[in-house]
Amino acid sequence: MTGRTLAIGARVTRQIRGDRRFAAAMIIIPILLLVFLKVVFDAMSVPDIVQRRYAVLGVSYVIHFVAFLLTALVVVGERVQGTLGRMFINGYRRLEIVGGYLGAYTLFATLQSVLVLVVAHYLFDLHYSIGEMGQIFLVLWLLAILMMSIGILVSNLARNVAQVIPFVPAIVVPALFLSGIVVAVSKLPTWAQVVARITPLYYSTQVYQSLFSEGSIFGDIWAFLLLPALAIVVLGFAAMTLREEL
Amino acid sequence: MGEPAISVQRLTKRYAAVTALNELSLDIPAGVIYGLIGPNGAGKTTLIKSIVGALRPTSGSITVIGHDPLKDRWALRQRIGYMPQENALYDDLTAAQNVRFFGAAHMRGDDLDRAVARALEFVELANRAGARVHTLSGGMRQRVSLACALVHPPDVAILDEPTAGVDPELRRAFWDGFRSLRDQGATVIVSTHQMSEVVECDHVALMRSGSLLLEATPNDLIARAATSVRVWRRDGTTDDHAVDDYRTELPPLLHADAERVELLQEPLEDVLLRLIEESR
Repeated sequence: MTGRTLAIGARVTRQIRGDRRFAAAMIIIPILLLVFLKVVFDAMSVPDIVQRRYAVLGVSYVIHFVAFLLTALVVVGERVQGTLGRMFINGYRRLEIVGGYLGAYTLFATLQSVLVLVVAHYLFDLHYSIGEMGQIFLVLWLLAILMMSIGILVSNLARNVAQVIPFVPAIVVPALFLSGIVVAVSKLPTWAQVVARITPLYYSTQVYQSLFSEGSIFGDIWAFLLLPALAIVVLGFAAMTLREEL
Repeated sequence: MGEPAISVQRLTKRYAAVTALNELSLDIPAGVIYGLIGPNGAGKTTLIKSIVGALRPTSGSITVIGHDPLKDRWALRQRIGYMPQENALYDDLTAAQNVRFFGAAHMRGDDLDRAVARALEFVELANRAGARVHTLSGGMRQRVSLACALVHPPDVAILDEPTAGVDPELRRAFWDGFRSLRDQGATVIVSTHQMSEVVECDHVALMRSGSLLLEATPNDLIARAATSVRVWRRDGTTDDHAVDDYRTELPPLLHADAERVELLQEPLEDVLLRLIEESR
C-alpha cells in the first residue's frame, strides 16, 4: 500500500464522515430492515431457532446489497463529475484508486457490520459465543469486500448513475432466490444451481449453514476460501479494467 | 527556438462518424503562454485530452516534454498540471482538502503543506481554505480547480477553458497568474473560445472543426487586421474606404469637402472570426 492509496482512502473516509446523513442512512436502513424481519417472523410465529438463522442470513444479504450499491454508485459518480479522470491525470494509478476505495469502504462496512450484528444479537437473542460472532463477522466482512469489488467492476459498464440501477435487480436480487436463503440450492433445477454458484451470497450462505450445523464456518472450507479468492480475482479484474479515458 | 515543449504531428481522432481532430500538427514552444482558440466544437478539448494522455488518438503522434502521453504517462503526469473544463472537485470537501488530495499524488508531509498553502495563495483563496467547495461561488470553484492543477507545481500547465463563465475582474487575475507561471519557467496552454483573449497569449493556434487554421503571435494577427479610413464631410456624413497602405492611398481621399479623417483598424476578435469564416 502506497502513500497515494492512503491519500485516496483518507479522502473517501473524510467524505463519508462529512456526509453524516448518508452515513447514518447506511447504518440505520439495515437495522430497520432487521426490525421489519423480526416483526414479520413474529407475526408468522416462526420458531426462534429458525428466526436466529434467518437473522444472520438476512444481515448478510443486506450488507452484500449495500456494499455493492454504494461502491458502484460512488465510482460512477466520480466518473461523471470528472474527479476520477482528474485523479488519473494527476498520477494516481488504478491499483491505488481501487485500493483506496476498498480501504475506506471496508472501514465503513466493518462499522456497519458490527453495529448491525450487535442489534441482531439483541433483537433475535442470537445466543452465539464471542468466537461464533467473530466468525459471522469475518464472513460478512469478506462478503462486503467481494461485493465492493463487483461494484467497482460494474461501474465500468455504466456511463451515469442511472445506468447502475439495472444492475441491482440483475446482481443482488437473484442472489436472494438462488443463494440458498429462501430454498436449498440442491432443490433447484440444474441450470439454476449453476447460476447460484456465480452469486457471492451462495458461498456465504454455505459457510453460515456449516456454522449453524457444525458450529464452525470452516466446516465447508472450500466455500469459505472461495470468498477471499473470488474477492482477489474480481478486485484484480476491476483494477485492470477501471477505465482511464475521459 | 529550442526543443518544443509539445509537438503534435498529424493527429487525428475520430468518434464513429465524427472527426474531432483532423491531421492536426503544431509545435508549442517551451516557456510561453500558448492559446488554443476556436469556437465550440473546434477540437480544443479533444486535443487537450490527447496531450494529457486521457484519449487514445486514432492516428498521429504527440510528444510532451520528451514523453509519449500514453506510453510514458506516469512519468509525464508528475510534470503536468491539468485543469478540466468542468470543475471536477469534491463538493463536500473544503478547498484546502481538494488541493491537498490532488497534491498528495506528487508529494507528502511538509512539502505538501507548503505546496497547498502556496497554491491557495496563488489563486487568492487562502482566506477561504476551510470553506467547503459547495458553499463557494462559481468563480471561486474555478480558482480551487486551478489551484489543484498547479499544486505540484507543473512544468506544463494545461488548462481547458479556465476563464469560461468567469467575471472580468477574475479573468484578469487569472491571466496575471498565467503570466506569473510563465515567468517562473512553465509552459502554459490555455484553451478558450473567447477571441478577445488572444492578446493575452504569446502564441495562438486558431482551430476550427478539428483543423488548425493558423499558428501566430498576436502581433502577426494585428498585421492581418484590415485597415480603413473614414472621411467625415462638413455636412456630417461619412465615407469609409478600405486601404492597404493609408500613406499612399489617403491623400486622394482628402477632397475639399473633408473635415477630418479617422483611421479604423479591424478588432482582433473580428480578424479571427473573419479567418474562421474564410476557412468555411
